[in-house]
Amino acid sequence: MKKIIMILAFASALPLALNAQKFITKNGQISFVSVAPLETIEAHNDQVNASLDMASGDFNVKVLMQSFEFKKSLMQEHFNDNYVESDKYPNSSFVGKITNIRDLDTTKDGTVTVQVKGNLTIHGVTKSIDAVGSFQVTEGTLVGTSKFTITLSDYNIAIPMVSSGNISKTIDITVKFTLTKLS
Amino acid sequence: MKTWLKILITLCLAGIVSAFLFNHYVINKPHPDYEKEPAKFSLKASELYKQYTTDRKTSEKKYNGQLIEIDGKYTRVEKSDTSSIVVFAFNQGMFGDEGIRCTLLPKYKTAIAAYPKGSEVKIKGFCSGYNDTDIILTKCSIQK
Repeated sequence: MKKIIMILAFASALPLALNAQKFITKNGQISFVSVAPLETIEAHNDQVNASLDMASGDFNVKVLMQSFEFKKSLMQEHFNDNYVESDKYPNSSFVGKITNIRDLDTTKDGTVTVQVKGNLTIHGVTKSIDAVGSFQVTEGTLVGTSKFTITLSDYNIAIPMVSSGNISKTIDITVKFTLTKLS
Repeated sequence: MKTWLKILITLCLAGIVSAFLFNHYVINKPHPDYEKEPAKFSLKASELYKQYTTDRKTSEKKYNGQLIEIDGKYTRVEKSDTSSIVVFAFNQGMFGDEGIRCTLLPKYKTAIAAYPKGSEVKIKGFCSGYNDTDIILTKCSIQK
């Protein structure tokens, strides 16, 4: 009987223990910029889901492509209709790990450089990527930032010849996630 | 004035006017007025969540990229670095509350204070889709 009570107590406490190791945001920010000879195009999305599991280092990000906002309406239309085809591929994602998660102590304020490795899926194409980022820890809140570059052709995003002066072949991406402990 | 000169001036003026109109109405056309444009769909917030979570593909085709109006009792308002978000929570998942998240247009950030937590509210916004946990509405306005 004692054993059963102990097992039940352990089982009921387990989800809490697992949650205590997870940090999340549903308001993560991703921006990208294309710098081409004729035009610089920027877009911003601040409704990005991100989660970090402190025990395993698992770091996952989920992005709705239709949430990217552009300065010009026509650019936004072309982005969704012609380039990322957001009706066919509404989500992009990153599934990966922070390989040096042991260096990140959420109880100690300060900044830690992290190595991120995983699979980035955009436009239905998945590619392995590595990036360097940092986490600033302030009173248990983690602010993660990183900058990296992707090549559009890697994700089967074709730029027509007529737009080659307006859209760069590579895109610089900046991310910022303010992660709080899942209660 | 010679006829050929008149034709040349007319063509030049027509070209300038066409270029201006093309630039104004095509290249630099404004974003839709999300606050004033009529919603394409109007339904209960709980019904929208149910549709997305039971038949995601059909709902994505129907609602993604559309201006929709939802109503129901909201759960809370969240404030991020950049925005205010009205949350309708319908489920508990691995990452906390799951439901509908409505990012308000800046002018409605304070207007939501008039609606006590848990009261009925009608919100119109642009539906970006479903991200496995929540349906995301952006450019939201509070409807009377």
